[in-house]
Amino acid sequence: MAIKKLLFASLLICSMIQSSHGATKERLFTDLEKGSLEITATPSRTGEGVVLAAGIDKLSITWKVSSTATKEPEFKTIKVKLCYAPVSQVDRPWRKTHNELFKDKSCPHKISSFSYDPTVKTAQSFDYTLERDIPTGTYYVRAYAVDAIDHEVAFGQSTNEAKTTNLFSVQAISGRHKSLDIASVCFSVFSVVALVVFFVNEKRKAKIEQSR
Amino acid sequence: MGDPSGEPGSSMHGVTGREQSFAFSVASPIVPTDTTAKFDLPVDTEHKAKVFKLFSFANPHMRTFHLSWISFSTCFVSTFAAAPLVPIIRENLNLTKQDIGNAGVASVSGSIFSRLVMGAVCDLLGPRYGCAFLVMLSAPTVFSMSFVADAGGFITVRFMIGFCLATFVSCQYWMSTMFNSQIIGLVNGTAAGWGNMGGGITQLLMPVVYEIIRRCGATAFTAWRLAFFVPGWLHIIMGILVLTLGQDLPDGNRSALEKKGEVAKDKFGKIMWYAVTNYRTWIFVLLYGYSMGVELSTDNVIAEYFFDRFHLKLHTAGIIAASFGMANFFARPAGGYASDIAATYFGMRGRLWALWIIQTAGGLFCVWLGRANTLVTAIVAMILFSLGAQAACGATFAIVPFVSRRALGIISGLTGAGGNFGSGLTQLIFFSTSQFTTEQGLTWMGVMIVACTLPVTLIHFPQWGSMFLPPSKDPVKGTEEHYYASEWNEQEKQKNMHQGSLRFAENSKSEGGRRVRSAATPPENTPNNV
Repeated sequence: MAIKKLLFASLLICSMIQSSHGATKERLFTDLEKGSLEITATPSRTGEGVVLAAGIDKLSITWKVSSTATKEPEFKTIKVKLCYAPVSQVDRPWRKTHNELFKDKSCPHKISSFSYDPTVKTAQSFDYTLERDIPTGTYYVRAYAVDAIDHEVAFGQSTNEAKTTNLFSVQAISGRHKSLDIASVCFSVFSVVALVVFFVNEKRKAKIEQSR
Repeated sequence: MGDPSGEPGSSMHGVTGREQSFAFSVASPIVPTDTTAKFDLPVDTEHKAKVFKLFSFANPHMRTFHLSWISFSTCFVSTFAAAPLVPIIRENLNLTKQDIGNAGVASVSGSIFSRLVMGAVCDLLGPRYGCAFLVMLSAPTVFSMSFVADAGGFITVRFMIGFCLATFVSCQYWMSTMFNSQIIGLVNGTAAGWGNMGGGITQLLMPVVYEIIRRCGATAFTAWRLAFFVPGWLHIIMGILVLTLGQDLPDGNRSALEKKGEVAKDKFGKIMWYAVTNYRTWIFVLLYGYSMGVELSTDNVIAEYFFDRFHLKLHTAGIIAASFGMANFFARPAGGYASDIAATYFGMRGRLWALWIIQTAGGLFCVWLGRANTLVTAIVAMILFSLGAQAACGATFAIVPFVSRRALGIISGLTGAGGNFGSGLTQLIFFSTSQFTTEQGLTWMGVMIVACTLPVTLIHFPQWGSMFLPPSKDPVKGTEEHYYASEWNEQEKQKNMHQGSLRFAENSKSEGGRRVRSAATPPENTPNNV
């Protein structure tokens, strides 16, 4: 009975917690200033049907603050991220785009993060080698401008609003290694052979005992 | 074997043998002790243990118990090892939601077939070799995860690993050679529950192993492949332990196999007929698909669900997911125990109500889990759901032994297969398409649990009644003897083949409820074919 009361109480408390979880996190993507940052990402190998190799190929990323940016004084940090193009989000709900920023999963891969220097007005660029844990897919690059309290205020991306231009494809590493394959085969063979050896051995011993 | 008459399917007798309440031991006058035998535990005339001493490793009885449930648990670990690592695997292999769902379906489908075959294998080779063969021959399938390069490979390997869940059969079979049928219920229920815990252990184990390997410098996409070597090695180790430390029978190996020349007294075709034409069999197949089946489905989706929905780290999601499977430690026996308590007051009707209440409650908590928006609520709902589903498994097998005496083995096997089938079906409908998000899938799964538990109301025993109908007052048809003897035709009755059923009928009178139990003078456990 005491357990039942405890359960009921915890149920009540939990449902209250749920309802009191207020609407504090609803910073929306659509609130951000579009096109404040002009950013281009040029792969090290370009061309029709070229697929970049994770861990090997590079992106050359150039960015500058757009002349149309109005929130420029608030910029403290620039965060550059690798984002999934719509074609890589199909049938993969864990990569879905959400308007609420804290829920959005379309840009999970961090490229770089650095402080914003307001005195430098010209375009800056840096190179990024595709990490070895980047999955196979089609991507673009997006940069968020973040203010002092770590809230995004503006962004820019290397593709158009419909995310159809300037996309590049990446092929992930397989994760397989020859040594792994060999070890796998060895252990498998060991398992089967050990079983057969035991079985044959015991049958032999039983025969010997029977013939005694 | 659980039944010395050697009928096919009798090897499964005692798998679910719940003729009497859970008991830790059998008192001497009821089952005579063989005082000449030199074992650590008191044994009966067949040298099967009469006492269940949990923390002992004494050869051969308790050692068999531990070898058995640990091998079964190892197979659960490897079958569900991929589940907590899916967030990594899906990126490596470029999987879609359909691929992940199909792999989950594949992982539980293989054993539908292998469990049915395993009974025959145990009859041919004995349970020790049955277990060792399965465990050691499925080790290569676990190791072959390191070769997987795309969705097709992933689904195939998960399908092949899933075959090893047939160790359930060898586990229960082996136990019934070692433990007296009066206590086999508790022994088998504990072994099954602790084996199922493997599905929870793996959710903790695999992310931790993965994390360690990553910290040692491997990339993510290599680390998960290496992590599979751990369950692979567990298979090999357990196989060797079973072969070296285990023995088929209390007196040693193989001796009774020599006596196997004894022709099976009952015909497989007949037993199959009685199993298949009893409508209760099919209701239990459906029901178990929505207690054990949803447990298996949830084992496959829950870690990924917590990882994605609540933005947790992989091993945090693993810890939460593990608590789902680990609840089996006490939830499944508790379900059986609850069924027993209900039976002492209301007999079989109490058992049916207990099953319906527990399983429906589990379904409602599943709905709540799908609708929970915060982490804490989701965890609470998940734990309550796990208790409901797993207790329902225990409560199901508290009733199954009474459905038939002659065809108990096959009915148990069919029910078990139904569990896997329900799991595959649920994953296919709710977790393999983009039509439902995972939380919607969980909600609808809960609704389906409630709906598919309703057929319990249709189960009617003429001698004991059903949920809503009282027992038949017909003086002939309303007796236990009539029900169990009706599985034998006249010729078989003339050959006295139905004696076992009659004895069982006598023992089962306690299912009539309190008025019968108080009226009955002899103890419930009259010695039956020990």
